Amino acid sequence: MFAQKRLQKELVKIQQSLPPGITLVSADNLQEWQLDIRVLDSNPLYLNQNYRLRFRFSNNYPIEAPEVMFISPTPSPTQTPRPIPMHPHIYSNGIICLDLLGSQGWSPVQNVESVCMSIQSMLTGNSKNERPPGNEDFVRRNTQRPRDVRFVYEDDTV
Amino acid sequence: MKVTIKEWNAVASWRWDMPEDDVCGICRVQFDGTCPTCKYPGDDCALLNGQCGHSFHMHCLLTWIQQDASKGLCPMCRQKFEWKKSE
Repeated sequence: MFAQKRLQKELVKIQQSLPPGITLVSADNLQEWQLDIRVLDSNPLYLNQNYRLRFRFSNNYPIEAPEVMFISPTPSPTQTPRPIPMHPHIYSNGIICLDLLGSQGWSPVQNVESVCMSIQSMLTGNSKNERPPGNEDFVRRNTQRPRDVRFVYEDDTV
Repeated sequence: MKVTIKEWNAVASWRWDMPEDDVCGICRVQFDGTCPTCKYPGDDCALLNGQCGHSFHMHCLLTWIQQDASKGLCPMCRQKFEWKKSE
């Protein structure tokens, strides 16, 4: 009930307008939405590249944070691929380490648009062409859903 | 001509003393509307004004505050949420 009404309101709004560099790809139901984001400046790491974010909402949204990660759908012949962006806080399986997506940093006044903008600016501000330390290990072993991973937020530089 | 009023009905409207189009930051419904779980606005679905200056539907804020993750903080400014006693 809570989630449905709030998501319907958000959907109406983002179908009308979204900030530059953010586009709605699909929102066929109120459980999962996909959006593309693009970095607007000339950061060479992300130049002219779209990245796909997948949002999953629980019935408790926005009291509970949505599950947000990058996905890399198999490209169809007409579509350009969507890689997982290189970033020291983004694992190669698409899982994002960002405090506002965890229960520590989430607030119910956040919304899909504000989360997209935070992730967009997280990319914009980054100049390191690298994955998080221990990426390989994490990706090989991780069977948890992103929301259940216990991150330690220790790096405030990017 | 003399008119005798035999019966009359008074109609009044009310609204919360809040800026007209302000919405609750949690459910995004106008303060004059209800939280997602209520049907009728008014005393049954009251507002809570925080000492930090942020207001929410009471039911929305309580749902949030009951979560351990909220740590009792205002969703807007992350100060401890304490409500203003009504004037």
